[in-house]
Amino acid sequence: MRLFGSGLRKLVRRPATWLTLGLLIGLLGLILVAVGATANDRRADPDGGNALLLLTFPLAYGFVLGFILGLGGLFAVIYGAAVAGSEWGWGTLKNAVARGESRSRYVVATFAGVALLTGIGLLVAFAAGVALAVVGANLAGVSTAGLDDAATLRTLPENLARGWLAIAEEGAIGFAIATIARSQLAGIGAGIAFFFGEQFAGIFLPDIVKYLPFDAATAMVAGGLPGSFGDGGGGSSLDAGAALAVVVAWLVGSIVVAALFTERAEISG
Amino acid sequence: MTAAPPTDGLALATRGLHKRYGSRVALAGLDLSVPSGVVYGFLGPNGAGKTTTMRLLTGLIHPDAGSIEVLGRPFGRRDRHRLFEVGAIIEAPAFYPYLSGRENLRALAATGAPTPRSRIEELLELVGLRDRAGDRVSGYSLGMKQRLGIAAALLSDPRLLLLDEPANGLDPAGIVAMRDTLRHLASRGKTVFISSHILAEIQQLADQAGIIASGRLVREGSIQALLASQGLVRVRVAAEEAGRAAAILEAFAGPGSVSASPGDDGWLTVRVDHGRAAAANRALAEAGIYASALESGNDLESIFLQLTGGEPSPGGEGTFTRMPDVDGPGPTAPGSGA
Repeated sequence: MRLFGSGLRKLVRRPATWLTLGLLIGLLGLILVAVGATANDRRADPDGGNALLLLTFPLAYGFVLGFILGLGGLFAVIYGAAVAGSEWGWGTLKNAVARGESRSRYVVATFAGVALLTGIGLLVAFAAGVALAVVGANLAGVSTAGLDDAATLRTLPENLARGWLAIAEEGAIGFAIATIARSQLAGIGAGIAFFFGEQFAGIFLPDIVKYLPFDAATAMVAGGLPGSFGDGGGGSSLDAGAALAVVVAWLVGSIVVAALFTERAEISG
Repeated sequence: MTAAPPTDGLALATRGLHKRYGSRVALAGLDLSVPSGVVYGFLGPNGAGKTTTMRLLTGLIHPDAGSIEVLGRPFGRRDRHRLFEVGAIIEAPAFYPYLSGRENLRALAATGAPTPRSRIEELLELVGLRDRAGDRVSGYSLGMKQRLGIAAALLSDPRLLLLDEPANGLDPAGIVAMRDTLRHLASRGKTVFISSHILAEIQQLADQAGIIASGRLVREGSIQALLASQGLVRVRVAAEEAGRAAAILEAFAGPGSVSASPGDDGWLTVRVDHGRAAAANRALAEAGIYASALESGNDLESIFLQLTGGEPSPGGEGTFTRMPDVDGPGPTAPGSGA
């Protein structure tokens, strides 16, 4: 427990934690406020009215969550890779091992901190996104009457929980890649390549790619809320239940691989 | 094949330690015997296997063959708890750059053996970093990082300290303070194992030394015995009598055994066993020449160069060089109260 607490404190003090969260909320806010501020231009445009749906509740809930899970998924890969890779690059894993700490326990505790913080980050970003959507709606003169839509609010906890699992899984992928690469930069680079590579491969090999981590994560949460991104249930994607199982498998598998690799590795850096 | 020496009473022992990196042999049967309660200097040229040994002793890597005993008990893959009684600096001290010195020690204290929080403040005081403990490590000088590394190594009040180049980056006052601290620890029964390039530092600090070359131990023993083993005696006579004294000593010790110091200050160096130094002095006195000084002519550096050939081992990183022991604008010395 002290290892987990210490890992959490390290992450909270880490500038990358706040930078990632700030960037996500900043980009989300930029879109929502910009759409709100330019509402009059959009009303004049026959197609521009669709953009105002982003600010129309309850659809806005789905957009905010979808945006966080989309861009946030990429950020989670980068963040997980940065945390794991820096333990090798800075030599801090070496310190812990030389003090007699269990390698696998250290890896699992470090990732548990990442998972918890990404969950908190998801909630904070979602709350900020909803608030910014309300601001955008007010700027655009769009009614916020759907803010308390009972049906949507009922499904919100489950969708946030699924979203957390998806983000944690994507973080775990970055974490495992950087552990194997033993490098922050290599881990981030490989994680980003995997993220986009999988999406690209989905065009040609949809029946295989649907079992890969990012596609499965998208399928697990897509369609849960009105207005959310992703094709959720359409085409070759897995249904939400099967996607949940695949996501859990990738999450657990990634951490097991990272722990086993660290356990067996020769630490010479 | 000779039997391995016993390991009773040793704080650290390795027997037949082998380690390869691909085709390169890093250690080729290393047998170290480090007694308890001493400061042990571990010397060797670059690439001789010192850092590999340190990594093996801290479980960062594992041997291909051979065994390690730490504090009298076998140390293998599954014996990580043995490291609860060991403190170490391996290569350069490593920290989270965005955390303060104090936060880094707290993070480290959460690993391995449980460590009371009060211990952190004690150690920050000991290494003279209390005033800068709240600053980010990224702003620390090399010497400050080294001091924080020493504090980190002492966190669990270890019985055995493994230090890789601990004086690296320290200013002269910091080196003296570190030497005092390590001697104090040894006087309390702790064992200090130091890998270093700074031979003069080891000669002053260590009780025992081991010299490694090409992955093998080439000499091990007390510093005094090592210094005596090379059989060099320095004799000082009046400068005008140096020529006659050299002839007498050469007759005593054999042809080519005497050399004069280049300064024409009356110092002569004689290759003779230390046990025969008094007899050499008597030979001079019988000829009416009275030595004003008589001392061992060895230093660790000459022994080191003789044993290692002054050359890097195969696969080494370059010729042996003295590491800089003074850091630039370093902070105040440990123990100075700053």
